[in-house]
Amino acid sequence: MSGHHISTDKTLLGVAGALLFLTILTVGVHYIHIPSPWNIIVAMGIAIFKATLVAMFFMNLYWDEQFNSLLLISSIAFFALLVAFTLLDTLFRPEIMPGF
Amino acid sequence: MDTAESSSTLNKIQVQRFKPDDNPDKHYLNEETGLWSWLTTVDHKKIGIMYLASITFFFFIGGLMALLVRTELWTPAKTFIEANTYNQLFTLHGAVMIFLFLVPSVPAALGNFILPLQLGAKDVAFPRLNLLSYYLYLAGSFIAVYAIFSGGIDTGWTFYTPYSSSTGGAVTTMTFGVFVIGFSSILTGVNFITTIHKMRAPGLTWDKLPLFCWGLYATSIIQILATPVLAITLALVAMERILGIGIFDPALGGDPVLYQHFFWFYSHPAVYIMIVPGFGVVSEIISTFSKKHIFGYWAIALSSLAIAFIGFLVWGHHMFVSGQATLASMVFSFLTFLVGIPTGIKMFNWTATLYKGSIKLASPLLYIFGFFFLFLVGGLTGIVLGSIALDVHLHDTYYVVAHFHFVMVGGMVMAFLAGLHYWWPKITGKMYNETMAKIACGIIFVGFNVTFLPQFVMGSQGMPRRYFNYIEQFQPFHQVSTIGSYILGLGFLMVFYYLVKSIYRGKQAPANPWGSRALEWQISAMPPLHNFHHTPVIINGPYDYHKPMEEFQLGLAESGNGHGHDVEVTKEGEDLSAE
Amino acid sequence: MANHSSSASESRFMQHHFVDADQQFDAAKMGMWIFLVTEILFFGGLFAAYVVYRLWYPELFTLASEELNTLWGGVNTVVLIGSSLTVAMAIKSAQLNQKKNIAINLGITLALAGVFMVIKYFEWTHKFHLGIFPGEFYSFEGIDHPKANIFFSLYYLMTGLHGIHVVIGMGLMAWLLWRSLKGHFNSEYYTPVEITGLYWHLVDIIWIFLFPLFYLID
Repeated sequence: MSGHHISTDKTLLGVAGALLFLTILTVGVHYIHIPSPWNIIVAMGIAIFKATLVAMFFMNLYWDEQFNSLLLISSIAFFALLVAFTLLDTLFRPEIMPGF
Repeated sequence: MDTAESSSTLNKIQVQRFKPDDNPDKHYLNEETGLWSWLTTVDHKKIGIMYLASITFFFFIGGLMALLVRTELWTPAKTFIEANTYNQLFTLHGAVMIFLFLVPSVPAALGNFILPLQLGAKDVAFPRLNLLSYYLYLAGSFIAVYAIFSGGIDTGWTFYTPYSSSTGGAVTTMTFGVFVIGFSSILTGVNFITTIHKMRAPGLTWDKLPLFCWGLYATSIIQILATPVLAITLALVAMERILGIGIFDPALGGDPVLYQHFFWFYSHPAVYIMIVPGFGVVSEIISTFSKKHIFGYWAIALSSLAIAFIGFLVWGHHMFVSGQATLASMVFSFLTFLVGIPTGIKMFNWTATLYKGSIKLASPLLYIFGFFFLFLVGGLTGIVLGSIALDVHLHDTYYVVAHFHFVMVGGMVMAFLAGLHYWWPKITGKMYNETMAKIACGIIFVGFNVTFLPQFVMGSQGMPRRYFNYIEQFQPFHQVSTIGSYILGLGFLMVFYYLVKSIYRGKQAPANPWGSRALEWQISAMPPLHNFHHTPVIINGPYDYHKPMEEFQLGLAESGNGHGHDVEVTKEGEDLSAE
Repeated sequence: MANHSSSASESRFMQHHFVDADQQFDAAKMGMWIFLVTEILFFGGLFAAYVVYRLWYPELFTLASEELNTLWGGVNTVVLIGSSLTVAMAIKSAQLNQKKNIAINLGITLALAGVFMVIKYFEWTHKFHLGIFPGEFYSFEGIDHPKANIFFSLYYLMTGLHGIHVVIGMGLMAWLLWRSLKGHFNSEYYTPVEITGLYWHLVDIIWIFLFPLFYLID
């Protein structure tokens, strides 16, 4: 509950190491040329995993008040809402740019 | 109290009664004086008053522009100003009223003043940020005003591309001004949410939170989620004009409809930024003047959040004729009807609160009745506009103009005036002239209807909005509307006159002129510098009119630490006779 | 929450309207998180535009991405991850009262942010040389697609906005460094380090997404 969690060096270095490894992994996967759409899914999956690591252990959400996690999640949810409803238009138009 | 026995394992705190002085010598205005103390103040009450003065100023500027626009429309052709001037006037009327008046009106002006008082806090969570957000608002306003004199803008307040990225004038300056104001709005939202979460007095649990706070909470959520998207959108318009990036410019391969999506992702929820705090004001006043517990507390509180949420799902109903996909139009139209549900819940709960209440028809309540009638018309015509087939006919006509004025002026301005009258004794320590207040309310109500009812008629007959010239068959409607706008203007001037007069000539207000149970009325008529000399302790909800007044004036008996929201207040050890 | 230490409330940075230092710390942190929400949606507009255009012109994104240097993008990712680590280390040092280590870690963070911006500078100027400008100034012939300018408009906007945030972050880091050298921070009071750290990690997270979205398309 309290926001004063003290991380150990081991945790911090471990997380940084994992992030480094995942960066190398995502570049490596890029050169393998996985067929679409799996290439995007893998790249985004790795990015989301990295972001989660940063949020949980560098930004201390793992130990923090849950409301702060809720804030992060809801911001992502509303971003998803913006994208989803915009796509509902842009992906379903008869012509991409009507009238031009 | 049934909690007394069940709470033996929880922290107990000693409370005693603090009966407020009506008019103590020292209050927030005379403890620190001088211009410098105002300009550098971090006191939420003074910042609220500075906001109040600023928005009043801009309200009259915007109102003056509206009167000029209406006067110009007296005849079908040119009456007294050029078409280009006319375009700039309606653009600025919209931009000033929305960004400089409506958005900050209740949250930043009244909210700033009242929120910490209702929470039993000494100030908002970030007082310096609060001052910064006022100065950002002021800076943004000056940039916007500067834009008027350095070329003007004629895009309408919506800045639609590609017109806004190609027209002359000071669009870039104006978007920058709005960007800065948006930043101010975001900071206010950040401040309020944190304040409501972290600064509540001991015992003030979520189910005892005044509904005005719930309204501000829902508003702040919209502010922090929607405003950044407007900021980036306007930044993109500015970049189009400066660097020609072309995201929204069809000539460079961009998509102008995408602009409308981003713009309305903010601007539809922004409608709720303007109206939801007004709902909060209504709940407070209805309960106070019917001396009755609010009907359906949770229904009203949660319907504010529901409106805030649904408000994010409906923006495409502004774009039915923009060329967006039919599928999107259908989904948006369907979701638009859902807004009616939480809004209806509120209306029914308010009327149910009045039922069998001990109603005192004072001027704040009179304004609220005006709100009911006008907002109902505004809301129902919104449902009409939400259905695709009708909207294709009514889009960009005076019907739309009348609809959103019924919501924004009839709803929000009425609620704002009600709140202003309600809290005026707390803000200034003076009572205004009640008779004049009632007359002014009547004049505003009549003037408003005379102005905007004819617009529904001519709109449904096909009169397009924003036009300089019109065909002669619409002239009678336009003339009635113009006359109505003068009556409306007169009403607002009257309000300004007697409120300002009351500061100098009004009689001293008692600490609690309305007999309200809410916390902000349990301190002296003008609050002390740091709001409370004691740490208030809350054991009853703000609408528990069936309980005696002294149970609402409790505070920590000794200076200890009652904060932290897991503290359960019991009546054990409480000494009501001690003062 | 119920047991507050009374010594903390005597700190010189304690503000009058808070009950104790814990309330002040928690409020500041929550305020920062709410601000980060607005940052996410601020970038969100650009990400949404990216998604829309990528789904419209997938082949354009594959073609144009070849012009971006994966190596330098990767190096910048590593640089930012490193700077996130040092910020976290600075907070830990503050919590453990190791005042010298706060300054050292903040200094390294500032330096890494500088490295990031220098690499960014060379990437951008290289493209300007080729005539790859945003929008209407685009004059590069090497990509066979009529809407190539849109890709680079998005690229410049998103990396540019991110770059602005890095520069703001550098300003904040410099301010923190100055304050830490004056000995303002200790285990009782390190709120500015903590909340600036949150901001910096978010800037890192944004880059974690920008990197695969622009440099790693095939």
